[in-house]
Amino acid sequence: MNKLLIIAKRDYIESVKTKAFLFGLIVAPILFGSGFIGIALLKNKPDIAERRIALVDRTGEAAATVIEAVRERNERDLIDKDTGKQGMPRYSFETVAPDTANPDAQRLALSRRVRSNELYAFAEIGSKALHPDSAGDKNPENGISWYSNDSGVGGGRWINSPLNDGIRRVRLRQSGVDPARFSDLLGSVDIRPMSLVSQDERTGRIHPAEKRDQAATVVPLVLVMMLFMIVMITSAPMLNAIAEDKLQRVHEMLLASATPFDLIGGKVLAALGRSLTSSILYISGALVTLNALAMFGIAPMELIPWFLVYLIAEITMLSAIAAALGSACGSPQDAQSLGMLLFVPVIIPMMMMAPVMERPNGGLAVAMSFFPPFTPMIMMLRQAMPGGVPAWEPWVGLVGTIVGVTAISWAASRIFRVGILLQGKPPSMGELLKWAVRG
Amino acid sequence: MHAISLRGVTKTFGELKAVDDLSLTVPEGAIHGFIGPNGSGKTTTMRMIVGIFHPDSGSVQVFGEEMTGIRTGLIGYLPEERGLYRKMNVRTLLEFHGELRGGDNVPQQVSHWLDRLGLAAFADAKVETLSKGMTQKVQFIAAVVPKPRLVILDEPFSGLDPVSAESIREGILEMRRSGTTVVLSTHDMGTAEALCDSILMIFKGRKVLDGTLDQIQDQYGNDTIRVSAEGAGELLASLPGVENVRDLGQYQEVRMARGADPQEMLRALIACVPVKSFTVARPSLHDIFVRIAGNE
Repeated sequence: MNKLLIIAKRDYIESVKTKAFLFGLIVAPILFGSGFIGIALLKNKPDIAERRIALVDRTGEAAATVIEAVRERNERDLIDKDTGKQGMPRYSFETVAPDTANPDAQRLALSRRVRSNELYAFAEIGSKALHPDSAGDKNPENGISWYSNDSGVGGGRWINSPLNDGIRRVRLRQSGVDPARFSDLLGSVDIRPMSLVSQDERTGRIHPAEKRDQAATVVPLVLVMMLFMIVMITSAPMLNAIAEDKLQRVHEMLLASATPFDLIGGKVLAALGRSLTSSILYISGALVTLNALAMFGIAPMELIPWFLVYLIAEITMLSAIAAALGSACGSPQDAQSLGMLLFVPVIIPMMMMAPVMERPNGGLAVAMSFFPPFTPMIMMLRQAMPGGVPAWEPWVGLVGTIVGVTAISWAASRIFRVGILLQGKPPSMGELLKWAVRG
Repeated sequence: MHAISLRGVTKTFGELKAVDDLSLTVPEGAIHGFIGPNGSGKTTTMRMIVGIFHPDSGSVQVFGEEMTGIRTGLIGYLPEERGLYRKMNVRTLLEFHGELRGGDNVPQQVSHWLDRLGLAAFADAKVETLSKGMTQKVQFIAAVVPKPRLVILDEPFSGLDPVSAESIREGILEMRRSGTTVVLSTHDMGTAEALCDSILMIFKGRKVLDGTLDQIQDQYGNDTIRVSAEGAGELLASLPGVENVRDLGQYQEVRMARGADPQEMLRALIACVPVKSFTVARPSLHDIFVRIAGNE
């Protein structure tokens, strides 16, 4: 048998037998899955405790109208139309006359009531809120200040709208508009997010746009999380294993029988085997679960081949880097500190998921998806988003990824060849680069 | 055909010239000993023969083939830095090494060597559960299965108790009997004298001795006298023609200056103290080693 395959076979069998691999295989999906379940449970159990707000009106004429606007909207939105149950908290108000002599003392007193949970928050309508001056946001008197323990405006975005509604009502009344027309004039309309309309080039048939909802982002999220999870449980132990083997000095004997390329190639192949084992298990599990929940239709079957291709590219790249970094380690502590470097190609895309999902075809998302180290995760995310990507983009991304992975693996094998027999002080980043270039 | 042929081999690490213009031939089927102080270039030379390092200049041939980075499976290698996959079973590990070298009948050969070195009962044990001596024997087997044509052993006896060392020594002799060429490095001059057909000494990267023990000793002549005499102690150093005295406990080893007459020395000694024994001999390998490495 080919030496590379013999090494791959040994590494694969020995690693899948370890408790760490079996533990990761079972625990990682439980941890990630429980996160999603937790979010879903919290969504079904909203905080509906009454929220009492103290309102300080420095205009002297807005309080009653603002309170009425909030109350009306609160009544309308209180019951969730889907569940028939209360879906949000009820807001109640008390008006507090402004202390013009010592406003800070008044704010301190109200803050203490918030801290003791007597109040949920207090709001201060600025003296110029009805007719702001040219200073705009810079003058707090031009708006409403909301004081609470929560970050931002407590109660989320919901309270913004009725508070503004109240201020607008006062302005309309001052302009002589009949209050009976307020609902008509101030009523908002629903803005539905839709996909683009497309046409089948072969048949000429026009595919109508589809409504996009939040659920549409679940599939890309799950796919990318699954990719991340498999990459982490496959590559993370590899760096430690190679560093440990180096410290145990097992490689010199092997190097008499196999070339450095055989060694690193065998290890990468074993890592691919481990990742495919995990993938088959997870994908089968996900499909069986969806089938049991009668939700098989949302399974992105057309993306599974791409998922596997990106997985192979990502694992090859990270395993090669792990082998190079592991060979450079002089102690277990080195392996820990170099671990951060190893995961740059997956951590950065994870951090950029939100902006990419917000605008999957924006400049940032497109640019990142063509940068080889990030292509597997970002392109996967973009492909899975509603609307997808132009058909050529994944193929171009794939070519770039293959070139990138080959270059990284080549440099990694040169570092591995030099580093694996060195003992003592770990090399600097400059030395690693020198080894990669000169071998 | 020579098993090994090195011609003008040089290897440098940064500023350090580890091996300097080294030429050497090792005939097939012989046991060849590498001796030299620590850091003299023995391990680097062995790594070049195995193909782990490439020389900066010169050529390394094994059985007439240039070592160009291809692993032929002809060479078994026991490095000085011992290391095995600790979580693996002994038999699985040995079969892995045998398979990697591409040999036939690997399981049978593994069984043979496990029996030979008294490890059959530990075939299914994990490496991490073995004692240091047993682990070293396992590593020795890993280097010699399947039967290679050339075995390179870097310090094969270091750290072994006499019983384990004896079983390894017997294993080496068995390999020679079956035609395998063995190259071993050692700091034990007694082992080199007893076991090796020819000896190479490297000092500061350069070859300083090469040949059979007889050939090496002939270079120095009969300049050594082993004396056992009561109260000779400090007296020996003051006798005519004595260049150096080494006290070995039960007797003293005296090195004579070139051209000095041992009979004259004996007469002077008898005149002073009673002499139990007086032997004119060639210098031991140990003495030759110390003369060279001690900059004498």
